Amino acid sequence: MHDRSILLVEDNPDDEALTRRALAKNNIQNEIVVARDGAEALDWLFGTGPHAGRAATPELVLLDLKLPKVDGLEVLRRIRANPSTRLLPVVILTSSREEKDVVTGYGLGANSYIRKPVDFGQFVEAVRQLGLYWLVLNEPPPRPDAA
Amino acid sequence: MPALFANDQLTTEYRFRGKDGAYRWVHDESRLLRDATGRPIEVVGSWVDVTARREAEVSLRAGEERLRLLVGSVRDYAIYMLDPDGHVRSWNAGAQHIKGYTEAEILGQHFSRFYTPEDVAGGRPAAALRATAAGGRFEEENWRVRKDGSRFWADVVMTAVRDDRGALVGFAKVTRDLTERKRAEQALRSYAAQLEVANKELEAFSYSVSHDLRTPLRSLDGFSQALLEDYHDRLDDTGRDFLQRVRAASQRMGTLIDDLLSLSRVTRGDLQVAAVDLSALAAAVATELKKSDPERAITFAIAPDLVARADAGLMRVVLQNLLGNAWKFTGRRPAAHVEVGVMAHDGRRAFFVRDDGAGFDMAYAAKLFGTFQRLHAAAEFPGSGIGLATVQRIIHRHGGQVWAEGAPDRGATFYFTL
Amino acid sequence: MILPHEVEILLVEDSAHDEELTLRALKERNIANQVFVARDGAEALDFFFGDGSHPWHEIGIVPRVVLLDLNLPKVDGLEVLRRLKADERTRALPVIVLTSSREEPDIAAAYRLGAKSYIVKPVDFESFARAVSDVGLYWVLLNELPR
Repeated sequence: MHDRSILLVEDNPDDEALTRRALAKNNIQNEIVVARDGAEALDWLFGTGPHAGRAATPELVLLDLKLPKVDGLEVLRRIRANPSTRLLPVVILTSSREEKDVVTGYGLGANSYIRKPVDFGQFVEAVRQLGLYWLVLNEPPPRPDAA
Repeated sequence: MPALFANDQLTTEYRFRGKDGAYRWVHDESRLLRDATGRPIEVVGSWVDVTARREAEVSLRAGEERLRLLVGSVRDYAIYMLDPDGHVRSWNAGAQHIKGYTEAEILGQHFSRFYTPEDVAGGRPAAALRATAAGGRFEEENWRVRKDGSRFWADVVMTAVRDDRGALVGFAKVTRDLTERKRAEQALRSYAAQLEVANKELEAFSYSVSHDLRTPLRSLDGFSQALLEDYHDRLDDTGRDFLQRVRAASQRMGTLIDDLLSLSRVTRGDLQVAAVDLSALAAAVATELKKSDPERAITFAIAPDLVARADAGLMRVVLQNLLGNAWKFTGRRPAAHVEVGVMAHDGRRAFFVRDDGAGFDMAYAAKLFGTFQRLHAAAEFPGSGIGLATVQRIIHRHGGQVWAEGAPDRGATFYFTL
Repeated sequence: MILPHEVEILLVEDSAHDEELTLRALKERNIANQVFVARDGAEALDFFFGDGSHPWHEIGIVPRVVLLDLNLPKVDGLEVLRRLKADERTRALPVIVLTSSREEPDIAAAYRLGAKSYIVKPVDFESFARAVSDVGLYWVLLNELPR
């Protein structure tokens, strides 16, 4: 399935609500699909488990790193290992900016790494830039079915 | 002469006294010639002057004797001989000192008794003999057993001894007791391992701080803002003020966490020491500060060619903090001056950052570099009280010193050596 | 928070005109001081893998993000990208393709070779300036880079 959705992988309901609010404030109207842990994200992307037979490719993945079950870096590794999601734009959107996370994240093929600011005004601005960049400016990779 | 008659030949060495009174050693080869009936008819012989060789031999024997005495008295090294099968043939004081056996007890005993039972079971004594016989020399560090059964860490060198024709006549062994060194090494390794665990825990802790402590702050700030926006007309001024206070406090907490993390970061990782152009670094930091508020009337006088061997990334943090403070505490001056320079201090170069800002009372100078220590009310000059603590840690990591001079309303000068 | 002066951008661009427009757009965002320009692919590669005689080596410049045109003299952009991704020392360096080509094979190849993002240069000046400045802001101010 080809859609323009954004997959938000985020376990904290507060952060989910704040991210939705920031997206809405910036008039980003893409459908937001939320996966609350790494396993759910993988099921949704690969059409496994509860999503059997309904694999979906979003426009963009916003990935938190600290997640229950399967952590963010492992989700990223599995996304890059699968031909159908290998080129999918993945932006790490997380609380910390630990050097080893940044290096490992890029090493595993993250497209970008954004630290969530504490100040909500700055957070809204970050989401604005992020949406503009990945949904408007950036030329997305060819869809696997089209390539 | 009877020997000559018995064997028909004789080889002897003896000495003459020469005409000059000195003795000469000769090597005498004599043969007895007989007639057909076996009756001796004459002696044919040759003399070779071997005085030089004889003298060398005498001094060699004296040398050997001295060596034997020396070896015998060495206490820090066990030096002894084994026969080709591994039986002890000689013993010195050091061997007795280290291993506990007297010469009388050990001569003729097999050297495998110095090994641990595990090593004996593993065939190590025999293997050591084979290896030495094959390679001429064998070295190892391992546990050995004293007479009383206690173990010591031994450094062992074993050398094969061969006669003129190359036949193995035995082994020379030199053993040192390195137990103390070994214990020190083990202690060091165990401290290093403990330190590594502590560092790992610290790293996990700061990771957790940077991630988990910031997350609830985002909720505090975000939902306060949401309340202000979505319920604006249902709140009165006091209610809105309370929410603004919640936001300000959560943002301040966010800054505190970031500053604490950068403080902990400067103590982690290796120093990348190279020549650093402090003048250029200070100029870059000053440019950034001016950009943040182009309206400020402030001049930076930076001495040229301030070069030091240091970690460039950390020196940038130092200058960001010191120049940032100078910028902050001159905020109420209509026209401020900040100077960066170098001077001599106790034979070392002391770099300094001087401003003509709010200054401080020298009575509190000692408090300046403590974590969370602030000398000004937050409302007057904002700050987390971590910046100078970070500066001090960086300077100490470089083996330098940092100190400050100032007076209220008369500016402050921060000095550091590297 | 990454301060702009800590970031060094390597712009690989052969068109003097585009270079000028790019630098001007970045200058408006106060990030032009940190931009260094290589005018063909060979110069870009020499910078990373040369014998150290390049003047940039002497002043210790280490770019942390690369803006890469594809159509370049001597060594083309995709080859530069391939070489940067093949070498352990530069693999983690984010490379953003900034080019006039909207050709699907170029887009696909760039992503396959490990480009983080693909930006098509808008034709008219104003859109171009805005895009470059948005790209600069995104990668320099918002995005976290390995130190």
